[in-house]
Amino acid sequence: MAIYDEDNNRLTIKLVYYGPAMSGKTTNLMRLHDTLTTDLKGEIMMMETTNDRTLFFDLLPLGFMTSSGLLIKFKVYTVPGQVVHDSTRKAVLSRTDGVVFVADSQMSQSINNGQSFENLEANAGRVGIDFDHLPLVIQYNKRDLANIISEAEVQERWQQAPWPVTFSNALTGLGVIETLEALLKQIYDELDVEFKFMQQHNLTQQEFITQLIGYDSASH
Amino acid sequence: MSIETDLSFDHEFTLQELLTGVNTDKLLGALQNNLQSPARILNLKNECLFATQLSNIEPTEACNKTPLYGELEPIGFLEASCSPESLKSAAQLIQLILYSNSRYLMASDIHIQTQRDDYEELQRRHAALEVSETKYKQLAESLDLRVKQQVKTIENTQLKLYENEKLASVGRLAAGVAHEINNPIGFIRSNLHSAQTYISSFVKLDEAFKAQASISYLQQVWKEENLEFMQEDLTDIITESIDGVDRVAAIVKDLKSFSRINDVDQENADINEIIRQTCHVSHAQLQNKLEVILDLGKIPMTFCHPAELGQVFLNLLLNALDAVHDKGKVRIKTTVREAKICVEMRDTGCGISEENLTHIFDPFFTTKDVGQGIGLGLTVSLNIIKAHEGSLKLISKPDKGTLVTILLPIRNQ
Repeated sequence: MAIYDEDNNRLTIKLVYYGPAMSGKTTNLMRLHDTLTTDLKGEIMMMETTNDRTLFFDLLPLGFMTSSGLLIKFKVYTVPGQVVHDSTRKAVLSRTDGVVFVADSQMSQSINNGQSFENLEANAGRVGIDFDHLPLVIQYNKRDLANIISEAEVQERWQQAPWPVTFSNALTGLGVIETLEALLKQIYDELDVEFKFMQQHNLTQQEFITQLIGYDSASH
Repeated sequence: MSIETDLSFDHEFTLQELLTGVNTDKLLGALQNNLQSPARILNLKNECLFATQLSNIEPTEACNKTPLYGELEPIGFLEASCSPESLKSAAQLIQLILYSNSRYLMASDIHIQTQRDDYEELQRRHAALEVSETKYKQLAESLDLRVKQQVKTIENTQLKLYENEKLASVGRLAAGVAHEINNPIGFIRSNLHSAQTYISSFVKLDEAFKAQASISYLQQVWKEENLEFMQEDLTDIITESIDGVDRVAAIVKDLKSFSRINDVDQENADINEIIRQTCHVSHAQLQNKLEVILDLGKIPMTFCHPAELGQVFLNLLLNALDAVHDKGKVRIKTTVREAKICVEMRDTGCGISEENLTHIFDPFFTTKDVGQGIGLGLTVSLNIIKAHEGSLKLISKPDKGTLVTILLPIRNQ
């Protein structure tokens, strides 16, 4: 649930990268940190164990100011993928405005993907998120590896689902921005109803996306 | 702290929060030394949070102010009288502290939050478990009580049936005994009836005597009334009747020993005599179907419960009767074996199948038709023999017959 802070004229939007362990959530976040040229881009905060497994979460703060003077702040989180950290996943997922589900494309990971997605749905229910209206993108990562599920099969599997599916190689950055764009489109539509981006801030969906990704904006 | 205000781990931290746990005196002291100026840390509303103590250092330059950044945007200001460049690098140093502190605060807050959630979840589950445990406990208790009540009811019923069984065999005897008694009573009555008709003849003779009739007349009456035959017949009638009455008395005596089944007193008795009595009272029941051959040896008297042993022999006799189809035999043999009284009853009946043999002493086990027996005969018999510290063994072969061996210790009182 995006939070509007009247004192500071600031809207905070929370995004969460969810998925099974080792599927590439943190790598997605690192690529975003490297590639995005958002006006305001904070340090990436990583809380990992010595063997590079996420312990609590990773956090990348991003933001831009609309022409109307509204600061739109994004807090992009990853959850720990390991099954044991379920309480942490639940806490991080709480009050999120959108989710990228990072699936591992390897054939051997199908069951883990499925269990993690079920876990996402269950935890969303526990923290009071209406899953049917939650902006969500399914990202099939690690497309560079051998023994991966084919795109055709992925498309067929998710055909009946309402969510967009993207393909990526987070190590090289392939598909990482496209995934974020696909999520931002849904988030804009969802939040525009409540916060009247177009009406009050003259902010189009395209502008909303461009501002965050920073392609057309002057470099910082 | 955020935990007390119940904020989420990812709320926006204020400058004050981010300086929690930082020794600001030392921080400001270091700033003052490096900047050669007193320094102040202000919040977004320009309120002073921390300031160096008044010191003897005189500011050499005008007061400058630079923002302190949080995640993205300013969350406060640093103020000192020094060059803007020095101030900026000092601000960067403070931001490093703020960043590292925010990392710590978020980690500890999410830790506390998840711990609390886990604890609450555990308590919820614990409470749910306790509720179901109580439910099961109550269920188990009431079940236990019901089982105990049910067991008691069954035990009471079995006890009654067991007692009834003791009486039932006596009841079965009654029918046969009635027949035995009816017979002599029948001929005694017929005899007495004859005797009654003879009285009128004696009355006639008596009248002749009283009228002082002549000898010849008296002789004529004597002849006419056939008093000669009557005299002989009366002797026979009375002898026969006495005999009949004796038979009834004998039956009643035999029966008496059976009727004392609930008598707790024991006495010295002759097992052979008990067997004979049993055969007498059951004679009518055996209906010529079962021929009893007695082979009673010389055995000593023993201290026992005659009525109960009689019931054992009766039960076994009736079993043998049931075992024979058309006509059969049972041989009862008594001997002394290994200083014990040994009673063997061997019948020529149908025998018992191997499957049933394991159950014959179980209470309420019966192969007889409904109404023919409730399956307590052998159970009662075994219990009686055991009460006499004896043993009862049974060997049987289908279609060949059954051998029951009872061993009783010889006891003297």
